[in-house]
Amino acid sequence: MLIVGGGLAAQRCAETLRRGGFDGGVRIVCGERHRPYDRPPLSKELLARGADEAFPLLRPAEWYGEHAVDLITGVRASALDHDAHRVEFEDGSALHFDHLVAATGARPRTLPEFAPYANVSTLRTLEDSRRLRELLSEGRRLVIIGAGFVGLEVAAAARAVDAPVAVVELARQPLGGVLGAEVGDLLVRLHRSAGVELFFETEVSEIDGGERVEALTLSNGVRLSVDHLLVAIGVVPDLGWLSSSGLPTVGIPTDLGGRSALPDVYAAGDAAAFHDPFLERHALIGHWEAASRQGAAVARTILGEDPAPAALSSFWSDQYGMRIQYLGHAALADEVTIEGDLDARDFVAHYTQAGRLVAAVVVGRPRAVPELRNRLSYLTETTAV
Amino acid sequence: MTLIPLIDAAACSAHGDCEEIAPEIFRLEDVAVVIGDGPDELMLVAARACPSIAIRLIERESGEQVYP
Repeated sequence: MLIVGGGLAAQRCAETLRRGGFDGGVRIVCGERHRPYDRPPLSKELLARGADEAFPLLRPAEWYGEHAVDLITGVRASALDHDAHRVEFEDGSALHFDHLVAATGARPRTLPEFAPYANVSTLRTLEDSRRLRELLSEGRRLVIIGAGFVGLEVAAAARAVDAPVAVVELARQPLGGVLGAEVGDLLVRLHRSAGVELFFETEVSEIDGGERVEALTLSNGVRLSVDHLLVAIGVVPDLGWLSSSGLPTVGIPTDLGGRSALPDVYAAGDAAAFHDPFLERHALIGHWEAASRQGAAVARTILGEDPAPAALSSFWSDQYGMRIQYLGHAALADEVTIEGDLDARDFVAHYTQAGRLVAAVVVGRPRAVPELRNRLSYLTETTAV
Repeated sequence: MTLIPLIDAAACSAHGDCEEIAPEIFRLEDVAVVIGDGPDELMLVAARACPSIAIRLIERESGEQVYP
């Protein structure tokens, strides 16, 4: 059993295999040099003052020995030879497999115009997060490209340590507009009142600097000075190692059990596009909860168990002490209605399509969540024809 | 010790926050499971921390749901 990639999906897969009594060898080969760790804190609490030593390991070091899981870190896959059931690695080594789980995750998208500069980074790894924390603790002026969850969470973390921060977003709304204008506007108000400079429908038209970006001129004429620039414009599956395998490198389509089109090859996490029975297509999800469930789903398939029922798409985000709970598929909505008080951070946003609930955002009302989850559970079933 | 924790297994997505906060009460298996008892306050902290809102707390005597 070979698991390539060492994030949440890989860890959950190994755990579920062992708990289910799998007694074959389990080996995780992790591209990063760390044991599997949790990424959500990288844009949240790990950026806070005093988090210098924090290391959000998913399991303690001794877990791997205790569960006979062979963990190799710091080795990236370079190719899959499916005929030989073999994975080759960048260090020249190769490993045979009976079952292979592709769980190499995603890498941040970058912008070529910023590639030459030294003070530009993305946020995906523990090292990225530590570097940002150091810059923020020195009060450096951060400019973030992208008002998605990562960009906004980092902006909130920057304000929490009084670092100046500006966010530049091409779209009209934060979070790609998926949550609608009302919830988007609430987030914008929160960030602005905390001192974040936010620019929408704006792009960078001029970069000043030599080895480092010194200043940006935006398409609206505003000039921003820059100590550090963070590009937070989403991720793409990290699947270059599959380029000659016949599997698509834009995300591996799988069934609900995590099976790819190749026999004995499975995928989970950000690298996988699981089939969504309701949307009737394969979807890249990219949420923490999806990676967790998919890693376990692959393990169940290998154990010969039935797949777990499809789970409702959901995520959460913490900003300024406000927990945002999201359920469903807001992108399907044609109308949003708010129940409660946005500015009191006490509301449920109902997203409907032709009057039918397709998603909800809940802030400050955890009691509403179980019922909403029930009302949305039809989204996990095959579309009735 | 007047609260009973119940876990909605379909909602739990195994974040593990409950186990981290109250390892004597919760343990993470495929999903979180209740393994023991503990102070009400700790149960409340763990239930509120759950990003999936998968922990319900029931008052033992009255049967009333205290959280969420």
